[in-house]
Amino acid sequence: MITQPAVRGADADLVRASWTDPEAFAELFDRYSAMLYRYVTRRLGPEPAEDLVGETFLVAFSRRKSYDLAYPDARPWLFGILTKLVSRHHRTEAARYRALLRAPVDSDVESPADRVAAGVTAQAVRAELAGALAALPAKDRDVLLLIAWGDLTYEEVARALGIPVGTVRSRLNRGRRKVRAALGDANPMEKE
Amino acid sequence: MDDLKLLRDLGAELEHQPPPTLARQRERFLRGRPWRRWPGWWTAALVAAATAVAVAVPALLVADRHTAAPPAGTDVVDVSGTRNVLLIGSDTRAGEGNEEYGPNLARQPGSGGRRSDTIMIVHVPADRSRTTAVSVPRDSMVRIAPCGSDPARTDLINSAYDSGGAACLRATLEALTGLRLHHTVEVDFAGFKDMVDALGGVPVKLPQPVDDKAAKLKLPAGESVLNGEQALGYVRLRRYGDGSDIQRVKRQQQFVLSMLREVRTRLAADPVRLKDFMGEVRRSVRTDLSLEEMYELGTQLADTEMKTVSVPWEPAARDRNRLQWRQPEADRLFASLK
Repeated sequence: MITQPAVRGADADLVRASWTDPEAFAELFDRYSAMLYRYVTRRLGPEPAEDLVGETFLVAFSRRKSYDLAYPDARPWLFGILTKLVSRHHRTEAARYRALLRAPVDSDVESPADRVAAGVTAQAVRAELAGALAALPAKDRDVLLLIAWGDLTYEEVARALGIPVGTVRSRLNRGRRKVRAALGDANPMEKE
Repeated sequence: MDDLKLLRDLGAELEHQPPPTLARQRERFLRGRPWRRWPGWWTAALVAAATAVAVAVPALLVADRHTAAPPAGTDVVDVSGTRNVLLIGSDTRAGEGNEEYGPNLARQPGSGGRRSDTIMIVHVPADRSRTTAVSVPRDSMVRIAPCGSDPARTDLINSAYDSGGAACLRATLEALTGLRLHHTVEVDFAGFKDMVDALGGVPVKLPQPVDDKAAKLKLPAGESVLNGEQALGYVRLRRYGDGSDIQRVKRQQQFVLSMLREVRTRLAADPVRLKDFMGEVRRSVRTDLSLEEMYELGTQLADTEMKTVSVPWEPAARDRNRLQWRQPEADRLFASLK
């Protein structure tokens, strides 16, 4: 989704600057609020997204002094906070996936070309994907979606959730296996 | 068929783009809780208390003299009818201890001089039944009325005060609200503290001990004499007693009364301290109300109930870090005050 240009200062520098000058933290908001917003809307829809992004930064700001400056990139930290907040909305999330099982999505894809490029195959199996996501245990879903939708690496997910990388791998594998199983079941070629 | 690729595509389909209103959240953490209440209940309370003291104390001194020998021509003052008072809580002494009462005060854009941190329109209806204080968000983008050599422009509302003073802010707000603002009262935050210190402290009687970290106040039960710092904490105090607003307002009124008692009993007999005190009052308050008008209005307002509302707002269309008044709600609010 968003990658960091090399020219600008590390997030950690901003966090440290914000210890004495709280305004510096606003720069982090400008960098990542849109990214976090998009991520939340994927999982929960637009309704609670704005507030959750605000709350994420509110929590992050209040914890800025305990940020580990050894990590230049603050994204995993922010995603970790956001993931905790999202978990409070698990009913909304489940309802969202269930709705996908039934109805077509009123998506905001700008042009038909985009749709062709991005969505055709996913649309064809949308119900299966949604069903699989809804059925996943929350812990596995968090890992899977931080990687698929949050664009974090294994190490970053480990940092975000405060778990070992090995656990990230095992949860991801379990999650993907279930998604593949759901897709496989839906594939008429493999049905007997 | 790659499952991750399919998931990513599904995600892209479900995604929504951030709306401009997301900017509201930017201010949320910067100003944190104080901002959401800023200008909130305690700001309002502080300004109200400072105003009350500032208004009532000189009035009291004048009134005492009046009862002794009322000068001809000044004893009939007419402040009846609907009155709208523009109340400006300013922070002209930023850096001298004010900033701890509002984390953002010291970082206001604009001049290093006076800044309006609280702008309120206090509406007093003709029957004096209920006072409404409408607080105006200071980062509202509005059409600023032309004043002095400055032409009309669209800018932050507090820039009207920063550059053109109370008169400019008043003209701007009159044009925006359609209300006539009869008077202006400017109160300096730090002034309240200094007034208390100039008094040599104000005694209060507490039914139960106070230990409140938010207000930075720790007091035993019974009688204590509060210095300026503690007095500020005391009027800010929220979680005390039953924690209700009504009780807090009562506490403030009692504090103001206690201040007035101090002035009457101790200060009136001590010309040097009285002079210091009046100096603080003069420094803290600027108004076009005469002492007599202040006294009249002050006594009339003493018993009315005050309701605080805010001008309805939304993030500004042109600058996501600013606000604009939400229409038609804002106009409706002001129409209700006519």
